[in-house]
Amino acid sequence: MYIIVIGGGKIGYYLSRTLLSEGHEVLVIEKDQAKCQHISDELGSICIRGDGCEATTLAEAGMGRANMLIAVTPEDEDNLVSCQMAKQKFNVPMTIARLNNPKNRPIFKKLGIDVAVSSIDLILEHIEEEVPTHPLTHLLSLKDGEQEIVEVKVPPTSPVVGKRLKDIPLPRDSFLSLIIGKEKGAQLPTPNTIIEPDDRLIAVTRPELEGELMAKISGS
Amino acid sequence: MKLVIMGCGRVGAQLAKLMDEEGHNVTILDVDSYSFRRLPSDFGGRELLGDGADEDTLRRAGIEEADAFVAVTQGDNRNVMAAQIAKHIFNVPKVVCRIYDPLREELYETLGLDAISPTKVFAQLLKERLES
Amino acid sequence: MQLNNILLSVSGKRTDDDILRLAGRIARRSKAKVYVVYVIEVKRSLPLDADIESETRRGEETLDHAERVAQEQDYEIETELLQARGVGPAIVDEAVERGTDLIVVGLSYERPFGEFSLGETVPYILKNAPCRVMVYREPMSEGIK
Repeated sequence: MYIIVIGGGKIGYYLSRTLLSEGHEVLVIEKDQAKCQHISDELGSICIRGDGCEATTLAEAGMGRANMLIAVTPEDEDNLVSCQMAKQKFNVPMTIARLNNPKNRPIFKKLGIDVAVSSIDLILEHIEEEVPTHPLTHLLSLKDGEQEIVEVKVPPTSPVVGKRLKDIPLPRDSFLSLIIGKEKGAQLPTPNTIIEPDDRLIAVTRPELEGELMAKISGS
Repeated sequence: MKLVIMGCGRVGAQLAKLMDEEGHNVTILDVDSYSFRRLPSDFGGRELLGDGADEDTLRRAGIEEADAFVAVTQGDNRNVMAAQIAKHIFNVPKVVCRIYDPLREELYETLGLDAISPTKVFAQLLKERLES
Repeated sequence: MQLNNILLSVSGKRTDDDILRLAGRIARRSKAKVYVVYVIEVKRSLPLDADIESETRRGEETLDHAERVAQEQDYEIETELLQARGVGPAIVDEAVERGTDLIVVGLSYERPFGEFSLGETVPYILKNAPCRVMVYREPMSEGIK
């Protein structure tokens, strides 16, 4: 794939290095001369100096044949505009933006950015995961947030304890994909699997249904 | 009308003054309180410190009831983003923004933003002056 | 100084003939092999392996011309046409790969913005080439003509 990265700071640099090692053709656009130089010295001639929001720079970078644009500058407005330019002017199929302020997620989504990644959200997800009392944990967001993988712990008092899976009504679009028991370890669920106390259920659901899923499993 | 202006530079301050004089309800935003010195001492509108590309600041500025929003900070992208938030998230009826870069202005015009490129306008003005 | 392997970068510019003659003199004396390369700079808007007919033709003509000059000078060269994003990195990479012990480049006397400029290629090679580098700058009078 031909991937254009906007922003040659730390994220841009390490991202490009990884993408190169995976065999992609990569070009970085960076405003700052010193950062450009550093990238060229370390990774070869894969960096051009310029404004990643300017149409002429993007055209020169070969945006017209790019498969993907990833904007990782520390400014959300710059990332937004780069992605919109790529999408609207150059018909780039996939645009990914770094979100510095996680509050900007809805506007990015509304304005057609394919994927917005916030390191703050990622860190928060990990914190959630580490808090043991939390009955529902987000593990992974799928299809740009339309579906997600969550983990639910079955409290000993739950009405589903001792029941067979086929007798437990789950919300629509929700599936159990794995059951991890204290002693029995990880198991693929079958209709006859019996839920035991403290089982950890890994489920696929939709974000708006997670409350319902929680209610069904924890009985609260 | 209820108007929110983002950016209290020369243009923003001048616009705020004009609209205030005509009796409109003006709120003007800037990230630097020092910028508000550009407003006349008898300015009757509201001055608010904050980043207009941030939804919460816009809410505090009363964007939800605003009839119009104008983005005139020094940054093209900042103006573009704030204008799109005002238009698409808060559904402000009239949104105008400044985009210096003519090519970017063209793109956002096609995407439905009401944008003005001072670069284009001023070059055209100079050309006309030279030809007259 | 024993030289076995010389890399010559030609560009279709005025300095080509002079550096070919110069390299001929060195090569005959030390019996070194001379590789002559022409680098086609491919714009980012095209894939690296794009077939750019006009550029390829110009490169081939330049290399053919180099062959003729070498023949006149009575020494043998090997030629190669390369495609790269930048001439400097391509020359350095080639030198590393071939174990070159001398790179010869020509520099025409140009004043693009009213000031003499080394351009991008020569400084890159001087900074990054592991081997000896010889830069031949044409006389000022050639550039000003």
